[in-house]
Amino acid sequence: MAVLSSCEEEEYAIPTLPQKLQNDVIKRTLGPNLTGLNIEFAYAMALPKSMGKLVSAQVEASIAGAEATYLDNKSYYTNSSGVDVGIEVGSKSVNSGNKTTVTFTKDTMAATLRYFYRIPTSAKGKEVTFKFSATASNGESVSYDMGPYKIAEMDMVLDLDVKDSSAAYISIEDMAVYNPTQAAANAAKIDLVYLYRAIPNITFTHGLVAPSAKTYLPGVTLPAGVNRTTKVQKVWALRDFHLARLQYGIYIDDLDFQQLDLSTAVDYAINLRAEAGTWVETADGKYRAYIYINSINNATKSAKISIKRFTMK
Amino acid sequence: MIKNIRIICAVLLTTFAMVACKEDFPVDEDGLLITTRTQCYVSNFELLGSDLQTVRTSNAVIDTTAQTVTVEVFYGTDLKNVYPQFTLVTDAKLEPKITGKTDFSDLANPKQYTVVSGNRQVRKTYKVNITVQKP
Repeated sequence: MAVLSSCEEEEYAIPTLPQKLQNDVIKRTLGPNLTGLNIEFAYAMALPKSMGKLVSAQVEASIAGAEATYLDNKSYYTNSSGVDVGIEVGSKSVNSGNKTTVTFTKDTMAATLRYFYRIPTSAKGKEVTFKFSATASNGESVSYDMGPYKIAEMDMVLDLDVKDSSAAYISIEDMAVYNPTQAAANAAKIDLVYLYRAIPNITFTHGLVAPSAKTYLPGVTLPAGVNRTTKVQKVWALRDFHLARLQYGIYIDDLDFQQLDLSTAVDYAINLRAEAGTWVETADGKYRAYIYINSINNATKSAKISIKRFTMK
Repeated sequence: MIKNIRIICAVLLTTFAMVACKEDFPVDEDGLLITTRTQCYVSNFELLGSDLQTVRTSNAVIDTTAQTVTVEVFYGTDLKNVYPQFTLVTDAKLEPKITGKTDFSDLANPKQYTVVSGNRQVRKTYKVNITVQKP
């Protein structure tokens, strides 16, 4: 009898509208949270028309965001072409300490505001939480907690131009590219040499070679003191979303660097193609990095690279 | 009487069930089926680098009479960290097993792999000769 009755269909009832101010939040960004990038949220709030209108919306972060942090003063809808169109509903947001506030200027009872938290350098390796809150003209207020979110310890640099025999010396410590003169001045920090060679009978093309791997540096005269042995391992099709900015939802996180084992890796990588990459560990073991090849150009013997770097403890 | 019949039926059913579970096919120590096939050869060979892309410059040459696999790899291949892949005739297996990255850097002493036929009676040892492309 009990079994039979449980199969009985319940009649559908139209949900009743709660007579109060309500809110909801979704996080829009995916992947690890890197300093200098945004964490984006969409904050929705509404109350029945008969009860009043929205007065203000506020986000409080546990760690104050960088200057570029803002709460959008527009509420968006998607038009028939799939484009998000913003309608201004409030004054430009004001940052005050940890808080970012928008005051509504339009008579509105429902809005979804986007919040862009620019991750400050001070938050690196820490956790950050957010408290979204809204107030209505009838004096009601609601809030919604999000987080905690871990801020990654990685550093990132995008679109460094490397060129054979000129801007060819890469320093992982400085996350920069040097020419031979600068390389001589920073000799102890040079981890890799970029070169392009078209050698008959073999496939060399674009290479990232440690100064120690002389065999794979044909025709390169290293500046005095440039001699580090860097561990390098070629990778294919690891198109990190932050570095490649392509459609692939792949992210390299702190954990990938922590678990990376390059103990048997060599000190050179040649025949690199666009969208390939290399895992790198510096000679002193202090840094691990992933160098992504955004693009290559055989004619100008150059490439564009992006780097994610993790400092080992 | 009815009770006794029931018991007898139950015992019989259990016996049948046990018989049905008995293994009819011989398997080896890896749990692989031992068959009647006697063929024993390598049909294809692939070598992948640390980036899981091929390091071969051309197809591997497999000599089933001399029992050799000859393959040329790109200049600059890190032979300490390569992944070999053998394609074998139906039902055959390879010894030693390939478990991951393999060190092929000792070019003077080519690595050897034994193919074992489907009936596990025929064993043929193949030598993997690697040459590196030269400028």
